[in-house]
Amino acid sequence: MIDTIFIGLSLASILLLVALGLSITYGALGVINMAHGEMVMIGAYVTVLAHIYLGVNLFFAIPLAFVVAAALGWLIERLVVRRLYGRLLDTLLATWGVAILIQQAVRLDLGLTFFGVNLAGLGPGLQNVQVPAVLQGSVSLLGVNLNVYRLFIILVTLIATVATWYLMYRTSIGTQVRAIMRNPKMAAACGINVKRVNALTFAYGSGLAGIAGVMMSGFKTVFPEMGTPYVVDGFLVVVAGGVGSLVGLIASSGLLGQINGVFAALTNDILARAVMFGTVILIIILRPQGLFSFRGR
Amino acid sequence: MLSLANVDSFYGRSHVLHGVSMDAPTGEIVAVMGRNGVGKTTLLKTIMGLTDAATGAIRLDDAELEKRPTFERARAGIAYVPQGREIIPDFTVEENILMGGYARAGGPKIPEIALKLFPYLAENMSRSGGLLSGGQQQQLAIARALAAEPKVLLLDEPTEGIQPNIVEQIEETIRILNRDLGLTIVLVEQNVEFARAAAHRFVIIEKGRVIASGPVADLSDELIHRHMAV
Repeated sequence: MIDTIFIGLSLASILLLVALGLSITYGALGVINMAHGEMVMIGAYVTVLAHIYLGVNLFFAIPLAFVVAAALGWLIERLVVRRLYGRLLDTLLATWGVAILIQQAVRLDLGLTFFGVNLAGLGPGLQNVQVPAVLQGSVSLLGVNLNVYRLFIILVTLIATVATWYLMYRTSIGTQVRAIMRNPKMAAACGINVKRVNALTFAYGSGLAGIAGVMMSGFKTVFPEMGTPYVVDGFLVVVAGGVGSLVGLIASSGLLGQINGVFAALTNDILARAVMFGTVILIIILRPQGLFSFRGR
Repeated sequence: MLSLANVDSFYGRSHVLHGVSMDAPTGEIVAVMGRNGVGKTTLLKTIMGLTDAATGAIRLDDAELEKRPTFERARAGIAYVPQGREIIPDFTVEENILMGGYARAGGPKIPEIALKLFPYLAENMSRSGGLLSGGQQQQLAIARALAAEPKVLLLDEPTEGIQPNIVEQIEETIRILNRDLGLTIVLVEQNVEFARAAAHRFVIIEKGRVIASGPVADLSDELIHRHMAV
């Protein structure tokens, strides 16, 4: 029983880690970022490349992936998303295009394939990441064997969530983000540089996805299309939890992760996903605004 | 001095303001008057840069504002108290006031004067803004504007939809802000008596055009009857 809950908790952590960034970009900016999954993928590739070219392990890849994904996110906001605020469906299509572009860039070795150059670690093939020895194996707790890497994922998610909470509710930039989220015109009239804050917000959300990618690389195969399913999962969590609510996000990822874990243990993975989707559909029917939402009044 | 010259303003394809020119000399109150839907609110939004597009010149002292984004206009010294107040319901009173301070040179800080003017707010800093009454929310919106330490205050129908006993307080507040702090105030106001008593100058708008303006002494019954009577 405890090991099932533990697995559910680690699944929930991954959902939360992916959904955190998505929730920020969707909740604060009203942008459906279809390229969010690609930020996860980029994070995973940063881990692969950091090992090959810099000889550093997964721990060092975490800050690196955050910076790389955040920089890429900032660039996407600057070049594409900035021109599309207030046009929800257009952001969906445009960022989907960006997602395809990023996937192809990785598959084609950033275009160098055309010149007969192939970079190790990139290309259409599968990549593997060696998990550091300290994160391998399992520890025994209350008579139950817990996988150390899953524990590590839960820990990283916890840190990322607390950091995000602190940033949003205890810092000046977070107050500005929350003000923009609720009333962008009034925020601007109060002297808030909405464009700058939006760009930073988008970069931060992308950076979190990059961290999620590093975590993913440790127990899943890394390949160019790996990010696509995470966008779906991420949006399920965001919509079920309530847009713009950190508490809702934690609750819904916890719920969906546990449902996935428990039903996977009882039956199989496919059925577990079906039950998870069913739960989300039920939540949307009964509470269209999500479990928690500041707009839901 | 805040001055507009030949300003046109648009929402999408609809052309709302036509060639508006007006001056708000430093330290004076200018009452903007006219019937509903003639463009008074749009005038304030245009000064703030909140309409979709605008042409013409908007200057505050030596600064040309017409090309600048909204937040820079706020930082240049224009604070805006919108119609309907637009305070943030799930922010506390304190957070709502501090929000206005992003336009202040040194960053957000609770303005002393707001606490003196509105003791209720000072005593309820941790209450949610959405729980306040209409009059208290109006005070909160003014306090938020004061947090910017502005030169010019744009007030859009500050007494609309507020219980009568608070209306007098708000009107007194406007006088104090002008007289004691020397704030320049652009006031959209339907109440002719208050406009006559408090304002130095007036502007009457009809169908998006300024059709009369001048010192408040020139605000004759005839003008009011012709352009404001329903």
